[in-house]
Amino acid sequence: MTTGSDDLHVLLGAYVLGGLSDDDHRAFSEHLRSCRQCQTELGQVSGMPRLLDLAGPEGGPHLTDTPVAVPAPLMTDHDDEHLVTLLGEVARRRRRRRAWMSVVAAAAAVVLFAAGAWLGPQLLTPTTPTLPTTHVAAAAVAGSQVRIDIALVTRGWGTQLDVNCEDMPTNGELALWVIDRSGRATSAASWRATPAGYSRVTGATALRPNEIQALEVRTGTGKVLAEART
Amino acid sequence: MPLDDEAVAEIYREHGPMLRRVVWRATSDANRVEDIVQEVILRVWKQAPEADNLRAYLITTARHLIVDQHRAAGRRPQQAQLVDVAEADSALDRALDQVLVEEALGRLQTNHREIVRYLYFERLTVAETSTRVGVPEGTVKSRAYYAVRNLRVILDEMGVTR
Repeated sequence: MTTGSDDLHVLLGAYVLGGLSDDDHRAFSEHLRSCRQCQTELGQVSGMPRLLDLAGPEGGPHLTDTPVAVPAPLMTDHDDEHLVTLLGEVARRRRRRRAWMSVVAAAAAVVLFAAGAWLGPQLLTPTTPTLPTTHVAAAAVAGSQVRIDIALVTRGWGTQLDVNCEDMPTNGELALWVIDRSGRATSAASWRATPAGYSRVTGATALRPNEIQALEVRTGTGKVLAEART
Repeated sequence: MPLDDEAVAEIYREHGPMLRRVVWRATSDANRVEDIVQEVILRVWKQAPEADNLRAYLITTARHLIVDQHRAAGRRPQQAQLVDVAEADSALDRALDQVLVEEALGRLQTNHREIVRYLYFERLTVAETSTRVGVPEGTVKSRAYYAVRNLRVILDEMGVTR
């Protein structure tokens, strides 16, 4: 069967893949000599046979009728488990980079945000063990511009608190306070403000992450700059 | 911040299975597959979480990672067997290209894929393919045209530019 000249350009596909009748092959070859568009398109796909040959004589698993045996380690049953490992690693690496999240100081948004930041990882993997590290973005209180990210790392002795602060006051003392479920506040770290307004410190508390009700960053005079509620 | 967790989880869920197949076929080492896949995702998440072409980025990263590990293994003095690094690299490249082309074929829509199968791999004619698939010859021709074009697009997306 031959094809009308208007339809000649579609022959490019079978010209590349093979299978055209002698008449069609001749017609397309002739058409190709004068058609710029087909010449350009052919240039883009002429390497296709070489690529297809890479997939082996039968074109690989997607082209054969028999299902391909998947080796046991590639089964996806353990995806959730792997994901927990992966996210644990994410948390660990995250502390090594400065990734900031802007926090809006509006009160309602603050509470929702802190709750979301806290619940996020748990909602993400509801059936899997608790991640070793949880991150919270401490929300700036009204009138404060600070940006603070706190990583809670579960340790045998309690909780390690890795604090990244930006846009902080540039003088005076700063402190991290931990408030337990009964409302008792203890200081977990104190440091001196830097001219750059940026600091990274690590604090410690004997409390376990689930025993912490809130974290506060305060000035030396006790003014709360930011808080994260659990 | 859970936004990161979500981003990583999404990359893992969407691209994990493909990466696992690619790495498995390229390394044939089931014990290392998951480690490599996770490392690839972590690197890409760290370097370019918003990359336009995440798939190509992931595959390129996997390629580099596997090649680097191959080289490191080849250099290890306690390995008595001397590995020809250049030879191992090109074998690895071939293996990766093979997997990528197979993956690309898998991503082609079914009625295009079967045309590629009959015309190219089974060497049937357009007329024979028409009978086999049960559509007119004109349809086989136009499907062949779009199959080739789409395959090119998919391969470009995967970073196979040759």
